Amino acid sequence: MRRNKHLPLTETVYYILLALLEPAHGYLIMQKVEELSNGEVRLAAGTLYGAIQNLLKLKFIRPVESDDSRRKVYAITEEGKEILRLDFERMKHMIKVMEENGDKAEVSI
Amino acid sequence: MRKFRFYIDLEKEEKWLNEMAMQGWELTGKSLQYEFRKMTSKETVVKIDYRHFKTKDDFEEYITLFRDSGWAHIAGTKTAGKQYFKKINRGGDTDIFSDVPSKAARYKRLSDVCLWAAISCMVFFIPLITTKAINSAVLLNPKLLYFTPGLWEKTGAAFWQAFLFETPFAVMRGAGWFFFPIMIILYVVFVLKAQKLYRRTRDGSLF
Repeated sequence: MRRNKHLPLTETVYYILLALLEPAHGYLIMQKVEELSNGEVRLAAGTLYGAIQNLLKLKFIRPVESDDSRRKVYAITEEGKEILRLDFERMKHMIKVMEENGDKAEVSI
Repeated sequence: MRKFRFYIDLEKEEKWLNEMAMQGWELTGKSLQYEFRKMTSKETVVKIDYRHFKTKDDFEEYITLFRDSGWAHIAGTKTAGKQYFKKINRGGDTDIFSDVPSKAARYKRLSDVCLWAAISCMVFFIPLITTKAINSAVLLNPKLLYFTPGLWEKTGAAFWQAFLFETPFAVMRGAGWFFFPIMIILYVVFVLKAQKLYRRTRDGSLF
């Protein structure tokens, strides 16, 4: 089976898609990503704006109706959910093989 | 105060603007020139993004996102490309980019725009040559821009006097013919420079 060419997702994209399971505007995405990643991933404005434009182009997210015209609201699409699921499966497999070989790598499971 | 400068290297431009800020000159606008205003506070961080926008709404959304996260838009228009931001939140982010690929990507956009400009100039220039509206021989032999009879056979002072007298006229005649080739060369140089900066930023970590 050929792997989807958008895999693996970057950590940034993974968290943005996760944040957009519920509709949110730009600044809210930043806050959600920071929260979801336990403060590990802090997106700066220019980086987030570029990521949003890119995800819109890939149709992984879409704009949704909002009252505030200056703050557009986005939500994940079916394609976005699918890629998120595929990346999750990929990482789940990586964790599974790590667990099987954990004793060799001296990692406590 | 107004100053004229030209930068492709956005890091160098940021460095210069931040040095101006240290001396108390705050950037307030940019058209062909940079416009500065004297200010009392010297604590500013200026950062530059490179983007064009299709609609006014897109542009406003972009500015609002930056403002929400502590960066005030101080110069740049919807179609200007370079967008200048000033840090307004003391505790906030120190840069407008949080990863290397997005910091590098602005040079990719800059390079693409210059490439389009170069191609557009060629699109205008080629019909001018093929329809003979421009005498392409002049490009290879600028001597043809001088009309003084027997000029090139003259020697010594007589030559220099006639040559220098006609040069301003020759330059004016040539301006139209050389305009497009010069623009094409300039834009190609900008493309190469922006691509070099793109690769350098992408491959070498600047953080």
